[in-house]
Amino acid sequence: MFWRKTRAAIERFHPVHQGLVWQRTASVTLPPAEWDAVVASLARHAETVKRRKWRLPDRTVAVLVPLIRVLCEDVAPGDAIGITADLRGPQVPEKAGPSRQLPVRKPIRSITEWFALDPWLAVRAELRDGSVLELTVTDRVRYRKIHKVNPRGKHKHKTKSKAVQRITARRTLQPGQDVRRPDTPPPRTLAVRVKPGKRTVISATTKLGPAPTEQDQLQWVLAVATEPFRWTPPAAERRTA
Amino acid sequence: MNPCAVTTGFFVLGRCGRPSVTVCRCGRPVCARHVDPQGLCPECAAAQAYADPFHPGWARGYRRRYYEQSSGMYNDAVWYSWFDSYDRGQFDGGDGFDLGGYDGDGFDGDDGNDWVDS
Ligand SMILES: [Zn+2]
Ligand SMILES: [Zn+2]
Repeated sequence: MFWRKTRAAIERFHPVHQGLVWQRTASVTLPPAEWDAVVASLARHAETVKRRKWRLPDRTVAVLVPLIRVLCEDVAPGDAIGITADLRGPQVPEKAGPSRQLPVRKPIRSITEWFALDPWLAVRAELRDGSVLELTVTDRVRYRKIHKVNPRGKHKHKTKSKAVQRITARRTLQPGQDVRRPDTPPPRTLAVRVKPGKRTVISATTKLGPAPTEQDQLQWVLAVATEPFRWTPPAAERRTA
Repeated sequence: MNPCAVTTGFFVLGRCGRPSVTVCRCGRPVCARHVDPQGLCPECAAAQAYADPFHPGWARGYRRRYYEQSSGMYNDAVWYSWFDSYDRGQFDGGDGFDLGGYDGDGFDGDDGNDWVDS
């Protein structure tokens, strides 16, 4: 029974890795060294697990792993990165909102429309410079289930979906950290808010429609995360590991 | 021996500064912790493994491309020059930095900021 060996192999993976396989979710706060261990465990997945049912969820390798790598660069060994990832996709029942019927004409019999809200990524990282970075990614998917009857009287069903995505990045600066307005405004699709205070908070939000492909996803998250960093010039030379 | 000139961090840039044991082919002095088996700095080593985020040095290899892409998206040459001058800073010999037309405003009052000539 080959699957038993595979299951045993999965049970030797890092607990966060196992959660991604069994539940397709992760919600945990760990120091960078422990995230390195999670990534090292995930790196062994493809060679160990061939069974499609137990493959890593979409966005694990293309988004989650590189994002962990990036954040680990900016977080000191004693500090932590919190990640809540729900990679089950927008189709799980609890993400679906109420449905309604749209008006139709023949040969369409009915169109049922509903929206699913999928907040699939939330990140919080305490950075080396004392600021705190928070990122969220939420998909909103419109579904339309269409029922029609063709001229030969055959009933046909099909579901169409269309996804838009909201990415937010919020950076809470250290008290007294220097702030300067960037020389160029952000792209028009990006909304920026700067809230001065003891700790200045810079937030950037974008809405993308259609939602980016998995391949472009990381670049978009980092692009939105860029804005709050454009407001603080690089610090003086520091010794960092 | 010169201090290790490897740039650390991603959004928050820093400098390693440990004593170097060799010089990478890009000219960067590199410490024992940052040198790879072929004598390369993390950035040059990761450039060979660009596409694989499982490679431990991936983020450092990806970083320059990220700064290029994001400064293009924001049409913000200063953003890129912050990174580029920082990254090239220490092993340029300290004889001035190409800030790409940047007028230097905004750095005033940065305490202990020793990487920009004024
Ligand atoms: Zn070093
Ligand atoms: Zn090098």
